[in-house]
Amino acid sequence: MSLLADVFTIVAVLAGLVFFIAGTAGLLRFPDTASRLHALTKADHLGLGLIVLGLLPRAGGMGGALRLLAIWGLVLVSSAAVGPMVARLTRGPEGRE
Amino acid sequence: MARAAVFRFGLLLLLWVAIAGAEPADLAVGVVAAMLATWASLRLLPPIQVKPRPGDLALLLLRFPWQAVSAGAEVARLALDPRRRPVPATIAWTPRLPPGGARDAFLAYASLLPGTLPAGDLPGGAIAIHALDGAAGIADAMSEEEARFARALGLDG
Repeated sequence: MSLLADVFTIVAVLAGLVFFIAGTAGLLRFPDTASRLHALTKADHLGLGLIVLGLLPRAGGMGGALRLLAIWGLVLVSSAAVGPMVARLTRGPEGRE
Repeated sequence: MARAAVFRFGLLLLLWVAIAGAEPADLAVGVVAAMLATWASLRLLPPIQVKPRPGDLALLLLRFPWQAVSAGAEVARLALDPRRRPVPATIAWTPRLPPGGARDAFLAYASLLPGTLPAGDLPGGAIAIHALDGAAGIADAMSEEEARFARALGLDG
C-alpha cells in the first residue's frame, strides 16, 4: 500500500514537473505577452495541481492536505484575477502590442 | 450586504484555519486578517445575486479538472514541440452577461479555460479575447461556457 502511494507520488510529481518545464519553455518561446501568460497560467496550474495531488498521500493527515489544496486554490484565484489584468494592460489602445 | 459580509468572513476564516491551524493565539490574528480580507473583498468584488442550481453547478465544478488538464496539455504541446509555433489571435467577443460582478467573475473563470484569455473591454461593448492558437471557434466556445456558467449560478433569470 505504501509502495503504491510512493509510486503515485513519484508519477504525479514528475508529471507536474513536465508541465512546469513546458510552462517555462512557453514563457521563453511564445511570441507575445498574452501568449506567455497562457503558458504561465495554464501549464503551471496543471503542474502545480499534479504536484499537490502527488503530495496529498504524504501530507500527514487532513490539516496538511487542506493546506496543500488551499495553496493550489489561492494560486488559481490570484492568476484568474491578475492574468486578464496583465493581458489588458499590455494590449494597448490599438489592440496590438 | 450584511449576509454577504458574514458569509465571506466565515469562508476566509475557514481558509485561515486550513492554512494556519486553530491554535487560540493564531486564531486571534486569523480573525483580524479575515476581517480585513472581508472588507477588501466587499470593496473589490461587491456581492452579486446568485441562485445556484446544484446540478448545473456540480457539472461546472466537475468539468473544471478536465478543462485544466486539456488547457495545460495544449499549452505544453505548443511549448515543447519545436516544429510548432502558436498563432496568437485576438478576437472581439460580445458577452450576454451585463457589465458588473457576474461578468467579471465569468471572465476570471474563462481565463482558466483552454485557449482563451480575456484581455479587457473593446469600444462598443465587446471584450477582447486572446486566443493562443488561432481564432477559429473561440467566440462560440466562449458563448457556450458563458451559458454554462450563467446556468450554474442562476444568472440567466
